[in-house]
Amino acid sequence: MRNGCDLTAAASDIALVRGRSKGRSFDRTQRLFYWYCLLPALLVLGVITLLPTIYLILVSLTPLDLTRPNTWWNFSNPTLNYELLLEDRRFHNSMWVQAKLSFWTVLLQLVLGFLFALLLNMRSSLLQALRTVFLIPMVLPPIVVAIIWKVLYTPDISPFYWAFKAFGWSVPALITDPNWALTAIIIADTWEWFPFTMLMILAGLQMMPQEYVDAARIDGASPFQTTLFITLPFLKGVLLVAGLFRLIDSIKAFPLIFILTEGGPGTVTEVTNYYSFVQAFSFSFLGFSSAITVVMVAATLILSWIIIRLVGWGGEDG
Amino acid sequence: MAEIALGVSEKHLPGLAAYRRQIWERRLLHALVLFLVFLIMFPFLWLVIMSFKSDPDILAWPPKLFFKPTLENYTGLWDDEFPRSFLNSVITSVGSTVISMVLGVPGAYALSRAARRGGSNAMSLFILATRMAPPIAFTIPYFLVYRNLGLLDTRLGLIIIYLTINLSLVIWVMRTFFDAIPRSMEEAAWIDGASLWQGFTKIVLPMSGPGLAATAILCFLYAWNDFFFALILTRTDAMTAPVAVVNFLDYQGWQWGKIASGGVMVMLPVLVFSLAVRKFLVHGLTAGAVKG
Repeated sequence: MRNGCDLTAAASDIALVRGRSKGRSFDRTQRLFYWYCLLPALLVLGVITLLPTIYLILVSLTPLDLTRPNTWWNFSNPTLNYELLLEDRRFHNSMWVQAKLSFWTVLLQLVLGFLFALLLNMRSSLLQALRTVFLIPMVLPPIVVAIIWKVLYTPDISPFYWAFKAFGWSVPALITDPNWALTAIIIADTWEWFPFTMLMILAGLQMMPQEYVDAARIDGASPFQTTLFITLPFLKGVLLVAGLFRLIDSIKAFPLIFILTEGGPGTVTEVTNYYSFVQAFSFSFLGFSSAITVVMVAATLILSWIIIRLVGWGGEDG
Repeated sequence: MAEIALGVSEKHLPGLAAYRRQIWERRLLHALVLFLVFLIMFPFLWLVIMSFKSDPDILAWPPKLFFKPTLENYTGLWDDEFPRSFLNSVITSVGSTVISMVLGVPGAYALSRAARRGGSNAMSLFILATRMAPPIAFTIPYFLVYRNLGLLDTRLGLIIIYLTINLSLVIWVMRTFFDAIPRSMEEAAWIDGASLWQGFTKIVLPMSGPGLAATAILCFLYAWNDFFFALILTRTDAMTAPVAVVNFLDYQGWQWGKIASGGVMVMLPVLVFSLAVRKFLVHGLTAGAVKG
């Protein structure tokens, strides 16, 4: 008998015994067993995600309007919705609004996230204890975040407006002022999501070898210089991935806009996602809305693919 | 320590000056941190405080810092339709969590033990795509199909659409847990005569208890936090708590007290659970963001 540590070898011995004449039989049972485990999940996942996606694409090829029954499954002019999109000023505007919103929120979240991560990375028991507190905005239900900011942006009851008045500043009601509405959304969104970038950057910081910083310090670099020339380049990858994640998520922004501005005033804060919602569930143009959504999904897929390439996800060699 | 140092002339002990400066720097830093925490937490705290104010106090000008706390907003919620939508939220969140765990955990186990690299790459893209797709992409087809199946405004309908987020989440997160459990564990059990299924249920599952709990909580939170699906797919019968709170923002005078207390009720389970799994949360919320 062998020294009994090699369990794998022992297991295949057992397999041999079990399989009696056919040694491969246990392997086959095993493979079958794994398929039985996986199959229900795969089937359900396919039915609940792939089928709806196909359905969405099909609907986007029809002029479906719930108030006109003859528009169901009408494929007479399949590219009509997409042609309309090319000329739709409101759609173009929504993409421009989306671009502005995404740019500013991602930028601010990266900057704030970086600063807070630097702060939290210092060795201090107080900071350790408070780390969880900084996560609160991110874990709150998005709708609660929206309500919080609705309260703060409503002049009648907002402590901010009271403070502004006390200082003698006259501040417009941000969410109803066309010049400020988008800024108001950007502020709220940044508050909600900077903990996410902070977390990722903090994880990156903790992987940074201390020797880099020590060496620079010995060479006489100031803390500011080490941050700028050592830490920041080291975090390049993390910043990029965190930024991309937030960029994709910013395409989904809904509750804040729904509660704070409803896309208004006018269409000042109407992002593409919101425009699609309005087309589908206010105007009931589901076909047209599906076309908008297909464009958004395509954009998300491209960005997701970039992330997978960057992170080297799934493979062992990334 | 700094107090002791005060009595001693710095000329004699040059190290002390630096030491004292360090202490002051540290105090300054802590003051800064506390200020920042206050700044970040203020919007959140304000809502909590507001939920304990009576309506006249909420509208008082200047805002009252000191007031007589009242539970009238919460009792007002209780008399309203709110408990029913809260119950809907609980049922749909728990329901989708249970189903995704039952389906997803064995699947994750199989993937962890048997997947080849190609399959695992495809799975990653698939999971990232379902996580990243805007909710409206699923909402439109589900809305149309539910209209015909009579699933609009039902809890079952919501549970099914929550599976789209949660099932892939379970498979993804549990897989990393199973990867951490050495294969030799089940193999030892097989030698002792356990079946494949027993190796999984009696050996692997009990070892991944904390992972299972954390994953279940994460699923619950994702379903609980949903607003968009419930907004579109429910009207009255299956309306969830987040939608009910938003309905207090109606046009005949906003019921700020109820909005605040309803908001607090919606975030209460989230805060409790987040605290319970805060270490794991960091991993789960950035699921996939960090290689793992």
